[in-house]
Order: sequence, then C-alpha cells, then structure tokens
Amino acid sequence: MKTRTYRNPVGVSRYTGLLLISPFIIGALLLIIYPFVSSFITGLTDGSSFVGFENYRHILSDENIRSSAAVTLKYAAILVPLKLIVSLAVALLLNMELKGIGIFCTVFYIPSILGANLAVIIMWQYLFTSEGLVNQLLEAVGLSPVSWYGDTDAALFIIVLLRLWEFGSTMIIFLAALRDIPRELYEAARVDGCGRTRAFFSITLPQIRNVIFINLVLQTIAAMQEFNAPYMITGGGPLGSTRTIGMYIYEEMFTYGDEGTANALSWLLFMVIALIVLIMYRTTGRLRREDR
Amino acid sequence: MKKLLLYLLLTAAAVVMLYPLLWLLGASFKTNEEIFTSAWFMPERLDLSVYGKAWKTVTPYTMGHYFLNTFMIIVPKTAFTVLSSVLVAYGFARFDFPLKKLFYGLLICGMFMPAIVTIMPMYSLWSKLGLLDTYIPLTLPALFAGEGMFVFILIQFFKGIPKEFDEAARIDGCGTLKTLFFVLVPCIKPAVISIAVFTFLWTMNDFLGPLIMIQSVEKYPLSLALRLSVDSTGQGYEQRSVIAMSVIGLIPSVAVFAIAQKKFVSGITAGGLTG
Amino acid sequence: MKKFIFKAAALCCALSLSACTSKKAVSVTPPDGSLDKCELRFSWWGGDDRHEATLKTIDLWSKKHPDITITPEYGGWDGWTEKVTAQMKGGTEPDIMQINYDWLITMSPDGKGFYDLDSLSGTLDLSGFDEDTLSFGRADGKLNAVTVSLSGRGLFYNSEAYSAIGADYPRTWSDLIALGESFGSHDAYPLDLDIQSGGTAWYLAVVYIQQKTGRQFITLDGELGFTQEDIRDALDFYKLLEDNHVIRTVKTRTDEDGNAALYQSSEFIGEKVAGVLEWGSAVGKYEAVLPKGVLEAGPLLAGENGNNSGWMIKPSLLYAVSGHTKYPDEAAAFMDLLLNDEECAKILGTTRGIPASRKASSALEKSGALTGLSKESQDILNETDTITISPYMELSRMKSFYNTAIESVSYGTADTEAAAEQMYRSVTEYLEKIKNEDPNLP
Repeated sequence: MKTRTYRNPVGVSRYTGLLLISPFIIGALLLIIYPFVSSFITGLTDGSSFVGFENYRHILSDENIRSSAAVTLKYAAILVPLKLIVSLAVALLLNMELKGIGIFCTVFYIPSILGANLAVIIMWQYLFTSEGLVNQLLEAVGLSPVSWYGDTDAALFIIVLLRLWEFGSTMIIFLAALRDIPRELYEAARVDGCGRTRAFFSITLPQIRNVIFINLVLQTIAAMQEFNAPYMITGGGPLGSTRTIGMYIYEEMFTYGDEGTANALSWLLFMVIALIVLIMYRTTGRLRREDR
Repeated sequence: MKKLLLYLLLTAAAVVMLYPLLWLLGASFKTNEEIFTSAWFMPERLDLSVYGKAWKTVTPYTMGHYFLNTFMIIVPKTAFTVLSSVLVAYGFARFDFPLKKLFYGLLICGMFMPAIVTIMPMYSLWSKLGLLDTYIPLTLPALFAGEGMFVFILIQFFKGIPKEFDEAARIDGCGTLKTLFFVLVPCIKPAVISIAVFTFLWTMNDFLGPLIMIQSVEKYPLSLALRLSVDSTGQGYEQRSVIAMSVIGLIPSVAVFAIAQKKFVSGITAGGLTG
Repeated sequence: MKKFIFKAAALCCALSLSACTSKKAVSVTPPDGSLDKCELRFSWWGGDDRHEATLKTIDLWSKKHPDITITPEYGGWDGWTEKVTAQMKGGTEPDIMQINYDWLITMSPDGKGFYDLDSLSGTLDLSGFDEDTLSFGRADGKLNAVTVSLSGRGLFYNSEAYSAIGADYPRTWSDLIALGESFGSHDAYPLDLDIQSGGTAWYLAVVYIQQKTGRQFITLDGELGFTQEDIRDALDFYKLLEDNHVIRTVKTRTDEDGNAALYQSSEFIGEKVAGVLEWGSAVGKYEAVLPKGVLEAGPLLAGENGNNSGWMIKPSLLYAVSGHTKYPDEAAAFMDLLLNDEECAKILGTTRGIPASRKASSALEKSGALTGLSKESQDILNETDTITISPYMELSRMKSFYNTAIESVSYGTADTEAAAEQMYRSVTEYLEKIKNEDPNLP
C-alpha cells in the first residue's frame, strides 16, 4: 500500500478526524450498511425464496413503474426550482432589518410543520374540490373553475402546491446562510457605489452558493423520494398520474406485502438519485466554493 | 414608504399562507355539515367541548401523558442529533484521515436510499436485542449521526468558515474540541439551531417509526395517540375531532419554532442587508 | 482497507442472514389444559367506541382471572396493517389479535401463521358458531381465526332526498337505472359508488353478474369463476350506470370529493348523493353525518324475475391467536370471553358489528341492544341466498386491478373489452402467483 500524506494542521494526528467521526462509523454499520445489505438481499427474493434478479427484470419491463418514474421526474423537475426560488426570495425579505420579522418568520414556517397529515387532506379538499375556495375565487374574478383533483395534470400540480406551501425548511437553511454573510462586504460595496441588485449578484449569491447547492441536493432527494403527499392527497390517482416511485415502493411494501419488489425498486431509485446528484455535483463543481 | 410596501407584501403573503390554517382552526368547532357548506373560517359558535374530549382521550391517560412521552423521546434525540452531527461534520470538514472518502461516500449514500427500506431490517435488529417497546430504537440512532442530511448541511456551513479561525484558536492554545465549541459552533449558530429545530419538529410528526417500535399504549407518543380514534373501517365519524387532534398536535411545534426563530432573527446585526 | 471492508461486509451478511433464518424456527407451545398465571398481549384497531368498550371487557376479565393480566395494544386503522405485518415477520405479535379477513391469506397462507384453534377446544367454546361461519377462519384446513361478526354490503338511501324527488327505493336493477333520469333533472344522483379503499363500484358490478350468471367472481379457494366476457359485462354495466346518471363518473367524484371518503364529502352531506353501498358493519359513519333517522336501509336489487341472489357476505373481523404464544390455553380462554360471555357481549354491544356467536347475539337480543341500521341490513341479507366473499377477492392487489379497470373505463382511456382483457390477465396471473408461493394449497 502506498503511503499517503494527510493534510492536517501541525500537531494534529491523522486519527483525530477518525476519532471525531467515530459515532458515524458505528452509525454507518448499524444504520446504513446493515439495512442496505439486508434490503439488497430481500430484493433478490420473492419474500421467501431466492429469485436472483427476477424482481429487477420485472420492474424494468413493467409499464406502470415506467410511467410512475416519469411522474416522479416531472414532479421533481417542477417542484425543486420553484421551491428554491420561493424560499430564497422569502429568506431575502426576512433577512432585512424590519421590526416584527420574527412573527413573519414563524408564520411562513407553520405550514411546514403540518407535513401531509389528516388535517392537510381536509384542508386541500376545502381548497381544491370543484366548489372549493380556489374555484370560488376564480369564478369571482371571472375565470372558469379548474378541475383540480380529476385532471391528470392539475392533480400533480396541487401536490406540488402543497410542498411549495411548505417551503419553511429550505427557507430556514437559506436564512441561516444569509446571516453568515459579513455585513462589511455590503458596506464596502456601497462605498464603491454598488447598487442593491449588483450587491445581490456579486456578494449574496457567491456567498451562499454552497448552501444553494445543499438545498438543491436535499430538495431533489426529497422530491425523488416523495410518497406521503400523493398518498394522502390524491391516493396516486387519477389514472396513476400522481403515483410517484416513493408511493409505489410504499404500496408494494405495505399494501401489497411484496417486499422483494419494494426493495429492488428502492435500490433502483437509490441508483437514479445517486446518478442525478453526481451529475449535479460535477456540473456545479466550479460554481461551488471548494476550499479544502 | 418602501418599508410600508414591504410590510404590505409580507402581510399579503402571510394571509395566503395562513388562511387555510385559520380555516382549519375554525373547522375544529364546526359540525360536519358546516365544514362543507361555509367557506368563511369563523364557526357559528365556539364549543370547546371537542377539545376537552380530545384531551381526555378514551385511553386511561390524558393527552398530557402522551405529550410527556413525546418529550421523553424528543429531548434526548435532539441533544444526541445535534452533538453527534456537529462532531462528525467537524471531522469531515476540517480533518484528513484514513478512509475519509469511503466514509463520506457512505454518508451521502445514506441519504439516497428511501428510509422505508430500513424499517424492516431495523425492526428485526431491535427485536433481537429485545429493545422493542422502549424508546431506545427511536433515540439511540441519533447518537450515531444517523441523519446524514444534517451532517451534510453542517459540513457545508463549516466549510464556509475561513480556516484562519481555527489557526488563530490553535495559536491561542485551544485544543481540537475547544476550537470546535468555542470558535466554530458560535459562527454557525443559526445552522446548528435549525438542525435542533428540524429534529424536534420531525420527531413530533414521526408516525411510522413509533407505530412499529412501540407496543404499549402507555408509551405511545403524541403522533400515535392523535390517531387513536381514526378508524375508516368502523362506525361513527366526526370531522372536527380529527381536526381538533391535529390542532393539539401543532401547538408544541409552533411554540418551539416561535421561540427558536428569535435565534435566527437576533443575529440580524451581525450580518444582512441594511435598508 | 480492503480487509476492513471485507470484514464489515461479512458482518452485515451474517446479521442479515440471521434475520432471514430466525423467523423460520417456530416452535409451537402445545396446550397444557390449565390456566396459569401469566401476561397476555391483546391487540386491535378501531375507533373510540370500540376502544372504550374493549378496555372495559379487559377489566371484566381481570375480575374473573386476576392472575392473568391482559395488556391491551390498540390504535386507529391507519398503519395498523403495517404494524401487524412487521410484528408477524419478526415473530413479536401479540398473543391475541383482532385480524382482517384477507390477512389470513397474506399472513398465514399455509395455515401456520396463527395458532391452530382446533387444538384449544378445552378452553375455547365454539358451539355458538355454525360450521359455515367457522370455515371462514380456516386457512389450509386449520382453524386459524374465529369470525367475530359477519357483514355484507347493503344499499342505504337518504330518505329526505328520495321523498323530495318523490321516488321509491329501487327494487330491481332497471328501477335503479330509471332513477338516474329523475334524479338527474334535480342535479342529484340516486346512488354513488367509489373506487377508493372500499372499491364499491366493482362490487356492485360483480353482484349484478353473479345474479345473472350464477357464477361466483372468485371462489373461496381462489379460482377465478368469471370468464373474460363476464368481466366485460360487469364493466359494461358499470358504464351503463354512469351513462344513465345513476352514479357520478370517476372524474366528477374526484373533482367534487378529492381523496376524501364519501361520508366526508359535501355532496353526500348536502344530499346531492342520495344512496350508498356500504358494509352493514360500517354504515354508522354515514348515518352520523346526516340528521338522525334520515339514512334508511333499502332492498337488495333483484332481476325482473325476482331473483335477488348474488349478494355477498364476509367476516368483517376475526380473532386469532399468535403461533408463538407461550400460553395458548389462557389466550383461548380470553378469546372465549370476548366471543361468548353474556356480560362481555353487553359491554361490547355492536362495536365490532353484530356478533356471529349465537351466545353473544342472543344476549344482545335479550337486552334490546340489537337495533339500528346494521341490524336491519343484516336481516335483509339473511333473507336472501348470499354468497361468501372469497378472501382472495379482498386482497389489496386484486382491488388495484378492479380500480384500474373501472378508472380506465370511466375516463375512456380503454373500452370495456380492452379493460376486461387486461383485468382478466392480471387477476389470473396474480392468483396463480400467490397460490404457487404456497405449495400447501390445492
């Protein structure tokens, strides 16, 4: 084995870092490697006996799963950019020196606390059914009502809206990053006669680019794994137009008790997400700040 | 003038965000019929009995008992999560060590796998260790930086702090841990607090984990207790009691967030745009 | 480094393999004929009424048997199947469980998932049940569970809505179809069928075809009795109902109700939808959202010749004993109390439907507690020649096949011919698959 040099500060042993991450090493064995291996093995069975890659073959040839994959990608492609833009915009507003900003911060976060529970189902029903509040408002301004739940495109859209409404966590991470930007930078820029818009593009964005990347990755992962919102709001319908892969896995696992397919499908989803994140990582390499 | 506009904008956004929730609160006082017939959020009359009934529950315990159970899980879990995530993130962000790439890869990969596939293996593991029906399966994993996402967030925040800070601390005679807790953590306080808040809120809402790991009603956390009476296969149904239950479940989360957000806002003089 | 990874991987494999093997090693504790001091776990799902009553029966038990402690484990229906599935896989299930009909197939395909109750006749008295009722709880010939109550779907109508239009409750299928027009002119519907969890749309179509052809959709041992043409006819019948404004189309219903169940829908509460097809044991939630006494049980639909066969019943709930229990006699004795004891029956009332045990139901009858819609519905069903629903028909995966077919016919993405062909294929393949997984079935 060739010897490697460790770039650590003087006087720091190469085992210091290892010691610091030791909780994670135990955690990795217990919470990552063990369930992963176990799930991979289950994915090669039909619940009781070994069937090799039969589950994978079946999944890749199943039309329902293919259309479900398309739904998931579409969902992620719509939700992730929208959510990043909205939460960054709100975080910027909340970062200004205004009195009572804390109240707004709380108000904007509250929807995120709800997740997708029973109350949300009732609320979305109140808002989006054919005689719901949204359609009443549309009619009041002279627009024609929309078939929200029954139309295949609109149904996906109201799920996107639910998750968009719950932008709080992303906003908080942005806000935490905005707080870290040294105020002197803006003052220096102002002395140099730099306007608000320029300051945003030349100071704010570069300063928080790492955090934009985190949010992009985290939101992409969350969207690709989404199952609760469609499960509760539309039950996957109409015509399977909101059945995400995450929901498909959940149903296979618990509703239909087909552990083999559920686990095999999870591994495929895992690989797709890994691929997407890898592409994001590679393509944004120069834009991110890598100062190690 | 500009400020006034800004306030107007924020208020309008807040109304849009909150109106459905206001309606929900109002609906907890409405009869089934009123819920569907009136678009306005105010109920015809305020009848608090639905909350009284929900608080008492049909179990031998009140909601208070289930709140306490939840806190028995949340407090250690939040403390463990923050501590372990900070340590591990610090290790990854600031040090070089053998197998670093492998472990970093594992950390990232852990986030890609749908959490649902880990439930059954973990269940059988805890069952073999005889720890089902205790809070250990729900709290102990937090000690091992189980939530890769938090470590990932913290690593990025640590990387944002200039290395000169560490060097200065070292020259001042700070050891590795002293540097972390007295120099670096204060720099990224908002991020650390957000992780604590997220852990709190998500644990509050977690349903499937406790459902599978906890057996005795006595040990149910709030999320399970709130759904005790939801039976779509059986008789009787009252929309407002389901809603009232959800409202009860929201209160601690809203309170904790309202307190914690001060920490984000108080940092305002340290950075940020000036109006 | 390689060595380390190898070791880690080996450790994981060992862990996972042990997870696989340990669940196979089941040793059944034989009954010893005596009631010993012990602790038993009993689990059920339900709503508040059921929780409250069941907790009282446990008090009753502990007065009679202070040595045997019963620990209750209960919750809402949400996620309960998930919980019990995990427990059954890990061998950590409670000693006594309330179970659902189709769990017999999913959790005990070979009859070994639950305790064989035939061997517990010392403490469990089954004389209050007829052999037919008991047979529903048999898996591969072994008595795995005892039916708590029987239930069938019946028709229930909003009496106010019907009298407002001046219509009588339909007696025949053609009555029903004719009602579409009179209700349609008032922008209302005489009936509604959903495709959600319950899947009543396919159910009614099945009844119609069973009555017409005398063939059972799926037999008790899991054979498909319908031909592809039967399935097509059933789908055609469904389409006929939609086209004649008897029921809402799937799209209209989804738009109006979202993902909510019918009893939570403004259309039902607002009397735009005047009829439902629901289990007698679960009709209470529809009753509760309307003013008292407004919902009434209607006759089961018949053909022009008066033939009203084809309607179905099934066990709505069953009790089972864990195959891993260390105290089978004690568990059976507690189950006996729940099923047969007179005092216990009075406490439970109809919180689990109308008891199938004659001992319990006669106790209820005497105390006058047997009234109401579910009793009426039961009586109506008892008067006809009912078919027992196959547990295979109730499997979640099967329901997804019915829903896919109905949805595509309703949305017009497939004609009934194509939808029938696809459903026929999926159903046959699936039935074959689950029976192949279990070599013990014929």
